[in-house]
Amino acid sequence: MSRFFANGSESESESSEEEIQATNFNKASAFQFSDDEEEVKRVVRSTKEKRYENLTSIIKTIRNHKKIKDIPNTLSSFEDLTRAYQKALPVISKEENGITPRFYIRCLAELEDFINEVWEDREGRKNLSKNNSKSLGTLRQKVRKYIKDFEDDLSRFREAPDQESEAEDEVVALESDGGDAGDDSDAGVKPTEAAPKAVKSAPAKAAPADDDDSDDSIDWDSDSESETESSDDENQYQNMRERFLKRTTEKEEKDDDKRKDKRKEQKTKIRKRAEDDEDGEWETVVKGHVVEKPKMFEKDAEIDVPLVLAKLLEIMSARGKKRTDRRLQIDLLFELRDISDQHNLGTAVSVKIHFNIISAIYDYNQKISEPMKLEHWALLLEVMQSMMKLLLANADIIMSESVAEEHEEYATSPFYVRGCPLAAVERLDDEFVKLLKECDPHSNDYVSRLKDEVNVVKTIELVLQYFERSGTNNERCRIYLRKIEHLYYKFDPEVLKKKRGELPATTSTSVDVMDKLCKFIYAKDDTDRIRTRAILAHIYHHAMHDNWFQARDLVLMSHLQDNIDAADPATRILYNRMMANLGLCAFRQGNVKDAHHCLVDLMVTGKPKELLAQGLLPQRQHERSAEQEKIEKQRQMPFHMHINLELLECVYLVSAMLLEIPYIAAHEFDARRRMISKTFYQQLRSSERQSLVGPPESMREHVVAAAKAMRCGNWQACANFIVNKKMNTKVWDLFYESDRVREMLTKFIKEESLRTYLFTYSNVYTSISIPSLAQMYELPVPKVHSIISKMIINEELMASLDDPSETVGMHRSEPSRLQALAMQFVDKVTNLVDVNEKVFDMKQGNFFQRGNMGNRGDRGYNRNQNNQGGNWLGQRRDRNNRNRNQRGHHKNNQDRQQQQQQQVQTIDEE
Amino acid sequence: MANFDLTRINCQFLDRHLTFPLLEFLCGKEIYNQQELLEYILETVNKTNMIDYTMDTRKRLNLSQEMPEELVQRKAEVLATLKQLQNEVAPIMKATDILKNGESMKDSKTFVNALQKDYNFKVEHLESAYLAKYLYECGNYQESTSYLYFCLIVMSPNDKNYLNVLWGKLAAEILTLNWNTALEDLTRLRDYIDNANFSTIQALQQRTWLIHWSVLVFFNHPKGRDLIIEMFLYKPLYLNAIQTMCPHIMRYLATAVVINRTRRNALKDLIKVIQQESYTYRDPITEFLECLYVNFDFEGARLKLHECQTVILNDFFIVACLNEFVEDARLMIFETFCRIHQCITISMLADKLNMKPNEAECWIVNLIRNARLNAKIDSKLGHVVMGTQPLSPYQQLVEKIDSLSMRSEHLAGLIERKSKQKQNQESADSWKYY
Repeated sequence: MSRFFANGSESESESSEEEIQATNFNKASAFQFSDDEEEVKRVVRSTKEKRYENLTSIIKTIRNHKKIKDIPNTLSSFEDLTRAYQKALPVISKEENGITPRFYIRCLAELEDFINEVWEDREGRKNLSKNNSKSLGTLRQKVRKYIKDFEDDLSRFREAPDQESEAEDEVVALESDGGDAGDDSDAGVKPTEAAPKAVKSAPAKAAPADDDDSDDSIDWDSDSESETESSDDENQYQNMRERFLKRTTEKEEKDDDKRKDKRKEQKTKIRKRAEDDEDGEWETVVKGHVVEKPKMFEKDAEIDVPLVLAKLLEIMSARGKKRTDRRLQIDLLFELRDISDQHNLGTAVSVKIHFNIISAIYDYNQKISEPMKLEHWALLLEVMQSMMKLLLANADIIMSESVAEEHEEYATSPFYVRGCPLAAVERLDDEFVKLLKECDPHSNDYVSRLKDEVNVVKTIELVLQYFERSGTNNERCRIYLRKIEHLYYKFDPEVLKKKRGELPATTSTSVDVMDKLCKFIYAKDDTDRIRTRAILAHIYHHAMHDNWFQARDLVLMSHLQDNIDAADPATRILYNRMMANLGLCAFRQGNVKDAHHCLVDLMVTGKPKELLAQGLLPQRQHERSAEQEKIEKQRQMPFHMHINLELLECVYLVSAMLLEIPYIAAHEFDARRRMISKTFYQQLRSSERQSLVGPPESMREHVVAAAKAMRCGNWQACANFIVNKKMNTKVWDLFYESDRVREMLTKFIKEESLRTYLFTYSNVYTSISIPSLAQMYELPVPKVHSIISKMIINEELMASLDDPSETVGMHRSEPSRLQALAMQFVDKVTNLVDVNEKVFDMKQGNFFQRGNMGNRGDRGYNRNQNNQGGNWLGQRRDRNNRNRNQRGHHKNNQDRQQQQQQQVQTIDEE
Repeated sequence: MANFDLTRINCQFLDRHLTFPLLEFLCGKEIYNQQELLEYILETVNKTNMIDYTMDTRKRLNLSQEMPEELVQRKAEVLATLKQLQNEVAPIMKATDILKNGESMKDSKTFVNALQKDYNFKVEHLESAYLAKYLYECGNYQESTSYLYFCLIVMSPNDKNYLNVLWGKLAAEILTLNWNTALEDLTRLRDYIDNANFSTIQALQQRTWLIHWSVLVFFNHPKGRDLIIEMFLYKPLYLNAIQTMCPHIMRYLATAVVINRTRRNALKDLIKVIQQESYTYRDPITEFLECLYVNFDFEGARLKLHECQTVILNDFFIVACLNEFVEDARLMIFETFCRIHQCITISMLADKLNMKPNEAECWIVNLIRNARLNAKIDSKLGHVVMGTQPLSPYQQLVEKIDSLSMRSEHLAGLIERKSKQKQNQESADSWKYY
């Protein structure tokens, strides 16, 4: 895979941009090209230098942190600094006679000032985030404690703070040997050799270098990285090529001299341009760090394919190097493309350059967690599209990862180019999502960003066409999945129209497209992940378009529930999203039970927001580390793909209400009653606990109020609470066919209210007339008839119908208190026996196979006792000595399962 | 009624020869255009070697009286090949006939050994399978079965043609209306399919075929009515096959459940399946069950029952059980009715059951007399009054406790047995050390 994907891993360091660069400089020497150079380095760099370098780099980060008031990071950097200083102490005491280096003191002073300033600013302090203010306190304490040791130095410094500050600035900018320079000039203890050279080289670089010699003489023996800066030197290029490419064009060698001259000319021009850029680009181009842009080709050079390719390689081999100006690389590549186009070098070369431009742009952004710049992304899109057009227009170009570099062929058809448009487009898509996540979802910015989605989809489509023409199954699956991921969450109203027969059956809708893509993946995919994701997206899409049965069957047949826990987080998120949508679909289709079933797992945790990756919860006790938070942020869904959480919760609560309320009514005195929905129950309870209940405001309050109305069988009030203007705007209007849903909902409310009514009040009637019930609930008589019949058959209602008079006769003879308690007791004993059996089953395997005898005997004894307890209980029960009985029961079962204990306790309470 | 006709779908899963009875049956029903049907039959027949049948069909189509030349020629050809094949197999068959009378017939291995020893027979040169196939193609099913029988004895189950032979045997047995042996072959084939390692798709295909062929057997064999429920509803593999490949089989399953009074408990499972599949397949029979047991819509059930009759009348597979179906369906309606009513007017009942009031009364009287129903008829008002008594709390209590002591005893017994076992073992163990 190409290199820019290699650094796409999440393991990339989380430190900020500056830190990366700082460390890069430190390591710079390790990655030199030629051996002799390295030796020069080794000789000059002393421990002192190394330590100082380290210190200065940390100081620099502290400064940067201070600038943006990033206090936690300042704190950590400060800790690093003290540690580094501790390390450097032996060196300092040896080399500097124990005098603290001035730049260090200076940093401490600045830090103290900074802290004081922030601390004084009470207004600002209040506004700080919790994390920030906490670190501020810690930092302040630490710094105070620490600077006590340096009090003398500090006071001396404060007397003359500005002394040599300019020199120091420069030193810091130069960074590598900055420590030396600042130190000598300030303390004047022991001038090193490096300092003058650095000073000397800096102006040398700054001034337009006209003399040929300067390149070789100054740069070569200086130990600072100024020589790396001039790494475009011809020799180094040669080395590089020899080393990495093993191929030298003789022609180029001949041209060397000429080219040098040319380059000198250009240098001035380019540097100006680069410096202009610097103003806007402070984060990437450090002062004094300028790379000359090499001249493309000789004026009279004959430009042909190998030459251009060599040039391309030359440019590209600089990628990933520490001192390469990535921006310049992009510009160079564009120039190269223009040149190759001018000279008609063929599309294969052009494709190759395009591809390299793309990778260069990707390289530009070093941190994978942060989005790339917008203009770069736009550029990328453009290049990508033009490359794909080229590829599609020329069937004889084969671009693939599997083409080895030695087998690339540009001159004659068929052309072979190494590269992977698939990976490129995948990255393009990822970057797009990152860009989206970056901006505020409620701003116009987001909308304008989102407009680019069309272009992304178009690009994916182009790549897809390319792979359909020439691609392995795996590649096709991957690009199909990309397309699916852009398709699955979008609602296509034509699907429903087609279902209703308003459109001819031949029109192709998004569901058909999904079907085609997914079926290909099901058949051809050999990695499990793509298939899983495709299935999930497919179900989601079906559910979105109310194809409830198809969606349900897909879920059931795929057996995803069993092994989704083993999947990666992104897939699990998709699974959750799918489940949420399936629940909504079931609800729209009137399958309340299924809807509840689908949603219960999401809602019972109380954090559907997190489960659907639609936002992070505020921090609580176990705080996430910064790293964790970053990873979680990366997983978030972009805003336009969100599922409305309020709708989800409302659907869940309403379906829970429709199930739970009749259930509560039917099992009012049942000891074995279980909650169907814990969340709903909690809502209900908390509302009951309130001493004063006002008119409902929020969605939840509405549902709770409706549930209360339903408990008395008052369907009218219940329906009014669920379907009203407020709820419509909040929730129901979000459905596509909201009127149908509301109608259905009212129907369900009527039915369930009727059931609740019958359960609750059947004991006050001996007979009820069916027509009057029908009138009461505004339901057709046959419907009422069928509901009652169902209740009778299921033995929920002790009643029977009297056909001639159209009434329901109740048979329920109300049990006396004694009888009721006896029944409850029987339930309990049944439970006991159940549990006994379960325990036996569980222990059966290893119960008698334990090693020692005593243990076994004990267990056996326990068991017998329990059995005796059971018998004993039975005898007592006959005596109807209820209280003692239950106490005995309680006592005997103390070591029993907790569940039972609880039940017994509830009885006692009653 | 063409919209509930399943012949078209069923024929996809049946052998060419098995479709002829279905098509002929349709000819008699006048649902489709007679002419078109016959033409279709002709087309199908032409692909087989049944020349006589072809000629017959041509006659029925009133095509020219003269038989085309090529047909006559083909007939001769077919006869010639037949004779040749028969000649090739003849010695073996003769040997078999001789051996059949002897002792060696008892198991296949000794039989094969004897054949190999005495008659220089090689299993590899088994032409009889091809002959059987040819006979079958000619419509000579009887002889085909006897050859196939021979093949099955001689072949090892690993032979690549074994499956084909099994299928051929089943088809031939069905066509000769030999239901007993057909059932045997069916079970043998099913075992083979379940145990052979096909790929999932192949297995599904094989099972789907088997399901369709077996319907023919099940509805004609006296034991089939239990077996069809057993196989379709309670064997998950076959239920899955029905659900994924051929939900229309639900019709036959539903019919089988309805006409089987002893398997009422299967009804609940069936209804679950019907509801699950209601979006892919529904016809009056499944809808009837849905109306009756899900929605308790007796009016709807009545209408559906009416439709059911026409559907059954036009379905080759189940046409024989029409009367049974109607009778049992009525009983089901009535039973459900009784469970939820304490008092029913006879006229309403008659209406719901598609009967005349007099007939209905007579019917109910019969039911009461047969002690299937605890009810009395109030003839003055024309009511049936149910004699149900509500369950008293005491009864409920007793009912619940009933099983408790049983279960506890069982548990205690289990524990005792285990500990005794252990003790025995232990004492045996301890003796070891002496």
